[in-house]
Amino acid sequence: MVTSSLRVPKQGHTPRECEDAAHVVAVPDGSVLAAVADGASESLLAGEWADLLTRTVTDAARDDDRVLRDADRFAAALVRAGQAWGGWLAEYVAKREAEDRPIAWYEQPKLDRGPHATVLAARFDADPSGVTRWEVAALGDSCLFHTRDDELLRAFPIESAAAFDNTPGLVNAFNRDQELLARHVRAVSGTASGGDGFFLCTDALAAWFLGAAQRGERPWRALAEFTRTGDLDGFTVWLAHARAEGLMRNDDVTVVHVDLG
Amino acid sequence: MTYAAEISRANPSCFVFLVDQSSSMSDSIGGGQQRKADVVADAINRLLAELSVKCAKEEGVRDYFHVAVIGYGHAVGSAFTGPLAGRDLVPLSQVAEKPARVEKRTKKVPDGAGGLVETTTRFPVWVDPVANGATPMCRALAAAESLVSDWVSRHPDGFPPIVLNLTDGESTDGDPAGAAWGVQTHVTADGAALLFNLHVSAANAVPVTFPDTDVALPDAYARTLFGMSSLLPPHMRFYALQQGVPAGDLARGFVYNADITSLVQFLDIGTRATDLR
Repeated sequence: MVTSSLRVPKQGHTPRECEDAAHVVAVPDGSVLAAVADGASESLLAGEWADLLTRTVTDAARDDDRVLRDADRFAAALVRAGQAWGGWLAEYVAKREAEDRPIAWYEQPKLDRGPHATVLAARFDADPSGVTRWEVAALGDSCLFHTRDDELLRAFPIESAAAFDNTPGLVNAFNRDQELLARHVRAVSGTASGGDGFFLCTDALAAWFLGAAQRGERPWRALAEFTRTGDLDGFTVWLAHARAEGLMRNDDVTVVHVDLG
Repeated sequence: MTYAAEISRANPSCFVFLVDQSSSMSDSIGGGQQRKADVVADAINRLLAELSVKCAKEEGVRDYFHVAVIGYGHAVGSAFTGPLAGRDLVPLSQVAEKPARVEKRTKKVPDGAGGLVETTTRFPVWVDPVANGATPMCRALAAAESLVSDWVSRHPDGFPPIVLNLTDGESTDGDPAGAAWGVQTHVTADGAALLFNLHVSAANAVPVTFPDTDVALPDAYARTLFGMSSLLPPHMRFYALQQGVPAGDLARGFVYNADITSLVQFLDIGTRATDLR
């Protein structure tokens, strides 16, 4: 199992300003955990929140193999991320004070509202027989795609490019309502075999992916070309073309490719 | 499709607020207690604060917009007070960093148990209320046109400038229709500059919001301002409808006899961007 990821900011933004996050963990037992999150650009510190979310949910899934099967357990992990955010934010505010850059009046209302992000996490467990069991949980419109024999087998949780809108489900760092979060979590699992591929994508790339697949194209080929070689510069140039041609919304882009080889 | 250009730091847009500062602005608004000048200054300060918060990121406020506030009364010129006094179009980051002062104001918020509790908030001030002199609306619109013309020549592909004129309606330096048309003749690849008018009347007449005809308007001043107003672009109509404000296909960016709530709502709808990147 080979994993690789690429992350590119919106056109006109620096890599530091990218508010997507990706995190991949190879567990000693041979399984792989991967997560992507998309921080909402209206928020302050959305990238930091997205990063904390991906780390927290992969840790939770590593420690408890039911987290990605059970919406309530996944929601509990999201609440834990929010609790960790409280501590992180206190340190951030103290650091700003220490650097003589206290929180400005225009930052405070957004800090009070807390950052928002979508999140998707997946686990891949390879069996000695060659079968890989996978499970995924998501809140919002970051997507997982499963490909086999140059075909798209599964898209989750969104199955059509038309289904993307401007109001995806989001996890707020101050939301402690586990029941509410659980109602918005979607989870699914399946099996895969050698040669299959998985792509975890944030929304703009996912919408492009589904649109291209619906037109009979094979978008995974182009993506795999960049992920397999880790060609960030080539991917950035290719994205600029896709955006300029109106094929993809100008948004932060993240992809994690899990190649079962 | 027009009025759909992306607004980014590389492709910013601009707002020009024209604020009537004539002596009649000391009258109370819509038959109520508050002076028109106070209500208008408060609304603009609130809007500038909300814009700053909306565009705030960790590294500061992003310059998605440049903003001018032009007062017209005993003179025509920048209505900024404090460090920005005398400036016309100012990048939003500088607006956020340089209010004249930050006041503490109290407001009541829900206490979570069904009641209200008083809390203090920081209220930055850039524009003070002024009510002095005549109403040189033609000169004010000419000043706006000059800013718009320069902006469009420097940003030919950008989201068109938006001019918001807040007035009690009676131009004293001629018919403003020609000067208003002049503003709207400046066009980017994304559309013509937009001119919206807000008529704050002292009369206790029924408010009219985003009308598509002038038949319900009570006087010639209101009808003139209606005729000077641009059609609301589709995304603003959509946002108005989301806010529960009816706005048909031919709705104009015009509000008559606004109270403070509809004034703030007008500014919010009139400055709503399609897409900030």
